[in-house]
Amino acid sequence: MRRALPRIVTRAAALWLPLAILFVLILGPLTITLVISFWEKVGFSMRPGFTVDNYVTFFSGVRLQVLGRSLWVAFSSTLLMLVIAYPIAWLIATRVRPALVRPLLFLFAGPFLVNYVVRTFGWSELLSRNGPVNSTLVRIGLADAPLDWLLYSDFAVYLGLVTAYMPFMVFPIWLSLSGIDRRLTEASWMLGEGPVSTFVRVVFPLSLPGVFAAAIFGFVGAFGEVAVSLILGGTGYQLLGNAIQSALNVLHYPLAAAISSVSTLLMLAFLVLWSRFFDIRLFLGKILGR
Amino acid sequence: MTLSRIGTAVAWAFVAVVMLFLYAPLVPPVIRSFAGAGGDAGLFVNYAAIIDDQRLMRAARLTVVVGFLVAVITPVLGLLAAEMVRVLRIPRLIVGVVLVPLFVPGISMGLATGLFFQSLGIAPSVLTITAVQVLWALPFAFLIILTVMASFDPVYREAAYMSGATRLQAFFEVEVPHIRQGLLGAAIFSLILSFNETIRTSVVQGGRNTVQTYLWAQYQQVGLSPNLFALMTVLIVATLLLIAVLAVLDARARPE
Amino acid sequence: MSNGMRGALTRRKLLKLGASGAVVAGGIPLIGVPAAAASNLTLADIGVGDTGDWSKFTEASGHQVNVVSIGNAPAAVVNQLLAGGGLTSFNVVNIVGGMQEPLVENDLIRPLETDRLSNWQDNEYISRYLAEGTPGFDFIGYRDQFFGVPTVFQGDSFAYLPEETGELDSYAAPLDPKFRGFVALEDNYTTAGQKTALFLNASGQARIADPADMTPEEVKTVVDFLIEKKREGQFRVIWSSFEQAVNLLTSREVHVMDCWEPMVFAAREQGVEATYAAPKEGYLLWAMSAYIVNNPQASDEDLEASYQLLDFMLDGWYGAKITLLRGYMTNPRAVEYARAHPDEFTAEEAARVAEITEGVKAKFEKGGTWQNRWPTHVDAYEEQWQRFKAA
Repeated sequence: MRRALPRIVTRAAALWLPLAILFVLILGPLTITLVISFWEKVGFSMRPGFTVDNYVTFFSGVRLQVLGRSLWVAFSSTLLMLVIAYPIAWLIATRVRPALVRPLLFLFAGPFLVNYVVRTFGWSELLSRNGPVNSTLVRIGLADAPLDWLLYSDFAVYLGLVTAYMPFMVFPIWLSLSGIDRRLTEASWMLGEGPVSTFVRVVFPLSLPGVFAAAIFGFVGAFGEVAVSLILGGTGYQLLGNAIQSALNVLHYPLAAAISSVSTLLMLAFLVLWSRFFDIRLFLGKILGR
Repeated sequence: MTLSRIGTAVAWAFVAVVMLFLYAPLVPPVIRSFAGAGGDAGLFVNYAAIIDDQRLMRAARLTVVVGFLVAVITPVLGLLAAEMVRVLRIPRLIVGVVLVPLFVPGISMGLATGLFFQSLGIAPSVLTITAVQVLWALPFAFLIILTVMASFDPVYREAAYMSGATRLQAFFEVEVPHIRQGLLGAAIFSLILSFNETIRTSVVQGGRNTVQTYLWAQYQQVGLSPNLFALMTVLIVATLLLIAVLAVLDARARPE
Repeated sequence: MSNGMRGALTRRKLLKLGASGAVVAGGIPLIGVPAAAASNLTLADIGVGDTGDWSKFTEASGHQVNVVSIGNAPAAVVNQLLAGGGLTSFNVVNIVGGMQEPLVENDLIRPLETDRLSNWQDNEYISRYLAEGTPGFDFIGYRDQFFGVPTVFQGDSFAYLPEETGELDSYAAPLDPKFRGFVALEDNYTTAGQKTALFLNASGQARIADPADMTPEEVKTVVDFLIEKKREGQFRVIWSSFEQAVNLLTSREVHVMDCWEPMVFAAREQGVEATYAAPKEGYLLWAMSAYIVNNPQASDEDLEASYQLLDFMLDGWYGAKITLLRGYMTNPRAVEYARAHPDEFTAEEAARVAEITEGVKAKFEKGGTWQNRWPTHVDAYEEQWQRFKAA
């Protein structure tokens, strides 16, 4: 028992200290943001105080619409990405030779070696009026004239978002699916369930942790996006990140902080709501022991 | 069973189309990397120019160092956080706090972290850049590790304890092999995220540039020179080669 | 002075860490250079002011220069200096001028002691274009004091593809329904807003007292007009980066574009015939300015070295190089220097420097209005611009 004390101390240090530092690093900046959002803008800096002017400005102006649009775009694009990523992850987890799995997963990570601004810009070069896509369409007769809506439109923005963030989602879903014990699916077959209902009632629920992770990756990516709206959006397609940058450009830190705080609180509210409806323990699986 | 045969073909066609969409935007940079080449200067003149660009080389070195640090630190922290979830049994709070940086828009987080460091008197350095990127990558790594731990039955650990293993032994010899995929995945994810991180880094970098912040600044104000596209092409080719090597190695390791 | 935030930050500082940070920031070892007099300067530049090769300066003065890229947006600059630790890492900042007010109010830059600069007195551009009392002064000075050294001069209008549009000579062109769907604007309310205001004044559609400094109502008028045009589909895209703008011209995605002249040069290099317009309403004039950062870590030697760097940027070699690289006018010594040093500049290059310089001088003679980076009601500008973009 004498040796227990130093052991406890080292355990505490190893486990708790880095996490404590982490928590401080996460919560510190957030607290600063929240505090600043109540300060007043004075000339080119700020005066500490307490005013809700910034929130009023945000809620009564056009920026509220921007928030709404960002939420909608993030939500719908995440859904789209899930619909594309899940079948791919499923195929890799069940139908691909084990030897090819890792290379295939890496193949999905490949495009990320190139700066995402350049990749997004690549799309604008491909979809431009005189670019390869339009030229081919016209040449093979599918279109009479270059299609304007390919670029600087909702289509382009969704395309940019999906190709940028969907690959992120394949890995967690695959991870989940590949961790499912084969005997569970076999048991289901042996009990008489067909492949479809086995999927719906056994495989899919067990893959939910991965889906949850993937959905968060996708949503967060799309919601915080700044470059895609600038490069592919056209005449001022505004998402939340752009609005914040714009406020910062006039050194309106309190307003930018207010917008950030609202968006963060909104996200947290979603998370809480989600955990109300879906037991979070479903997603944590066996971590908590069952 | 021709239906299943058709189904399989359709499925693979689907994957192929998706791959096409993912790699299509990489083609313009490759083409641009050959701008002005050929003739006297030779085909690879822009590639040689990569080395000549001092600032690019310095930025590249910084990117590699920071990337390595982030790829190593983040999964470890993610693992610790997952352990905490298990030990403390207040999953909602921990998951919530760790995931918060995900929901804060990039610029705000970068700025707030910068101000935070300033108020503590911490000057910008490689460490501040690493810290900001770890904070960004951690939620992703954490979620991946949670995902993989969700399918690991603690029963195996109990079995190890009952066989006389210490906590550490049980962890390293029983749990880690099972979650190895997840840890590796988390590390690679963190590396990729670090490699792509621009906005947060640009605020706390002080007197340095990473490749991404350098590219971003150039892109905004003076345009991208061909040697930058050459660098990207080199990266793409190197990655594809690595993947091919990996495929061959994996195929050899598991004879069917 | 509102010391507010900055006051709080300077109260607690880790000098050791800060000092080592400033040295490591250089990234270049000091070994091999006489330690006593040599400084390691950090120059934060938006990309335009970097010649890529500072060895000439190092040979002449013994000081090293480490260039860091920063963004041009006012927030990027201030953020870097305040939150990003730039205050203790940077020695000189080279950005588009006109930002003195926020920088001085936040105590971020030092006033210039112009007698420490040997190239200042006979710089006729300063005396002619940026003299005290003229609007040009706002690009390098604040409240009767000089703060910045002008490193670049230019006058903006817009670019067009003459093969598609014929010759254009008025700001009416980007707003002309004839080019509907083939026009691009810059994502910048000061430039786009001012040019539109000039047009509205000239065509009598509005009475705007000073396009460079509009009242909130005037800004609203301008933006209402622009929103109407946007709804009619006049604009194809609002661009926000150099690369994007050049691409719009070279791919002929748009035919008329509100942008900077270097884009035209870049487009021509890629074989596309583009012209920079000479509008009858005049140009939007601006200058880049290099400031000395109020760096508490900088020693007196560093300060002296910074002045030497500024002097170097006012000198012929730097001026000629930048003119060649970016297409802007720099300082009066550039043209003669290029001609007088055939070993460093070929005859064509020297001719090009002269050509560009003459071109910009002509713009300044023609006049127009000085771009105002920091209008009095900048908040209103931003608010209205958000409206325009979200419409």
